[in-house]
Amino acid sequence: MAIETVEVSGHIVDSLLLAKILDTILDAGCDYEIVEFDVGKTNLDPSRARIVVRGDDDVLGPLLDSLQMHGANRVGQSDARLVPAEVDGVLPAGFYSTTNLATEVRIDGQWLTVENPEMDCALVVLDGRVRTTPMHRVAAGDAVVVGSDGVRVQAPEHPRDTQVFEFMASEVSSEKPKALLVSRVADRLRVARDRGGKVLVVCGPAVVHTGGAPDLARLVSAGWVDVLFAGNGFAAHDIEANVLGTSLGVSVAEGVPTEGGHANHIRVINEVRRHGSIAAAVEAGFVTGGVMHACVKAGVPFVLGGSIRDDGPLPDVISDTVAAADALRQHIPGVTATLMLASTLHAIATGNCLPAGVETFCVDINQAVVTKLADRGSHQALGIVTDVGLFVRQLVDHLLGPG
Amino acid sequence: MTGPAEGLTWGRRYLMCPPRHFGVLYEINPWMSREVSVDPDKALLQWEGLVATLEAAGAGVVVMEPEADVPDLVFTANAGVVNGGQFVPSHFRHPERRPETPINAEWFRKRGWRVDHLPAELDHEGAGDALPFTREDGRTVLLSGYSFRSDAGAATELSKLLACPVRPIQLVDPRLYHVDLTFCPLDARHAIVAPLGWDAYGRKVVEALVPEPLVLTDDETLSFCANSVVVGSTIVMAAVPPRVGRQLEAWGFTVVSCEIGEFLKAGGGCRCLTLALDVRLSPDAPPAPDPS
Repeated sequence: MAIETVEVSGHIVDSLLLAKILDTILDAGCDYEIVEFDVGKTNLDPSRARIVVRGDDDVLGPLLDSLQMHGANRVGQSDARLVPAEVDGVLPAGFYSTTNLATEVRIDGQWLTVENPEMDCALVVLDGRVRTTPMHRVAAGDAVVVGSDGVRVQAPEHPRDTQVFEFMASEVSSEKPKALLVSRVADRLRVARDRGGKVLVVCGPAVVHTGGAPDLARLVSAGWVDVLFAGNGFAAHDIEANVLGTSLGVSVAEGVPTEGGHANHIRVINEVRRHGSIAAAVEAGFVTGGVMHACVKAGVPFVLGGSIRDDGPLPDVISDTVAAADALRQHIPGVTATLMLASTLHAIATGNCLPAGVETFCVDINQAVVTKLADRGSHQALGIVTDVGLFVRQLVDHLLGPG
Repeated sequence: MTGPAEGLTWGRRYLMCPPRHFGVLYEINPWMSREVSVDPDKALLQWEGLVATLEAAGAGVVVMEPEADVPDLVFTANAGVVNGGQFVPSHFRHPERRPETPINAEWFRKRGWRVDHLPAELDHEGAGDALPFTREDGRTVLLSGYSFRSDAGAATELSKLLACPVRPIQLVDPRLYHVDLTFCPLDARHAIVAPLGWDAYGRKVVEALVPEPLVLTDDETLSFCANSVVVGSTIVMAAVPPRVGRQLEAWGFTVVSCEIGEFLKAGGGCRCLTLALDVRLSPDAPPAPDPS
């Protein structure tokens, strides 16, 4: 997939030249977006259109030649403009704000690929490399891309293997055969692992509430999870379930509230704090099962991001949210598939950091979570509206066989 | 049946160049063949016949001197675009015709025209690829052909230079390489049009522009009858297909045929041999000088 920009001006409306150019683009199997259009106000005023054309590399070249015949000329690409940041943590005015799409930056006539696409960041150029950098990580003197000249973004390619992917093309809906979706997700995780990609799992506490923790722990132990991201709640309830058999005071085995159970999680957090860390609590035998236990035993890294309503929190929780996002970023390179399990805040936080190319499956009983994720720019997320506990159970059945 | 034709408001004074160095010395359109020789005496007689016909119809003819090795200088329609006292010389696509540009520019400059140039990288072959159509509301649109000889982008530059709307339409038949082989404005309502030469978009553009077109069949088109010279309500054409003649007369025009067969060997008709000097495309154009 390649992108070029062309510009055409003159009496392009009256002469149907614009219509012809747009038709020519479509006839070639390419797509267009009119990014600027100044319509002449009078009969005499010329109009001007700037058109972004997207298409396969082998088609775009000949198409540009034929567009040129109709007077639409390629807009000359210039190098990106670099302005040094004046102060730590503050970007130069007019900085290029990134998308999560694959991006290239032109420096000295060469197109350099941005190494770690992430939305809402700046582009910093150093030693012939371009990296996205969140605002707070920019240091005075960093060369920051300003304006959109010399920056090109690749639209996400539509999957061509419809046999495998067609289910991804549709909107989130509860009206889907779940078993089929689960088996397809299992297939995608297998493909990710076969290709050497990492699988990131983002968890909300409902995974524990719905009884999915033991199944997820099996996935972790079996090597299907490469990195886990969650908040204080998930980890606390996972440990609570292991130590006291309840999740938020409700018996995981019997589904009924237990006497004084509302304090169970805070007592467990207190004990883990006494051990100094989750790993230490596992080593000491205080925690003997569950997802966090499996992570510690299998050496799977986890990032616990804090929030303002956390109880405790657990000693591993990074309560500085900016530092938590940075910790998450450390683990994102190499991730090619993400499972977001019944998590709203951490799912959106993760979505913000992920490149658009990462296959993302968002499982929630509430359709709004997936919609939110897409509204915040993570358009690649496929939503599966279902009970997360049942989903994880079925996923485990597919990947590990019935336990 | 409509009333007597009003004819064109322009087309009473023409620049022409006698064919003393004319011949088919190269091949730059499908009509040209170096194996077909031009009879110079016959060509001169035919050219003089056209001058006489135009003068008889009430037009004045201004003659420019021909030059050796520039045979197509006789086709003055391709000299450039005239807009009152402004002249925009052509940028020819074929190197064979490029020597004509400085000759034409100099001729107009010397006689008091303001000469404005198109950007060097854009081709445009003058009135051969740009004909004005003035509608009943008095607005003039320049219809410009592109693809074989002129660039679509030149229309934009031309529009800026002339302060006149220019609508480029794509020419699709190599035999009809200039727009003046496909379009002949007759008055504020009528024009001879040859859709054979245009793509679907171009046909729509002309359809929207001309209230009552005389639509030529393919055979009529290839007789070069759209390449006619209009002097008031008199139309001078190389050949008059019967249906075309009847329709034009029904509209109140007088049709005169003029034998110019030697020039057809080079792919040129009556219009190609003339350049109207009294065209005014925009109200702000400087007044035309008197070249005589």
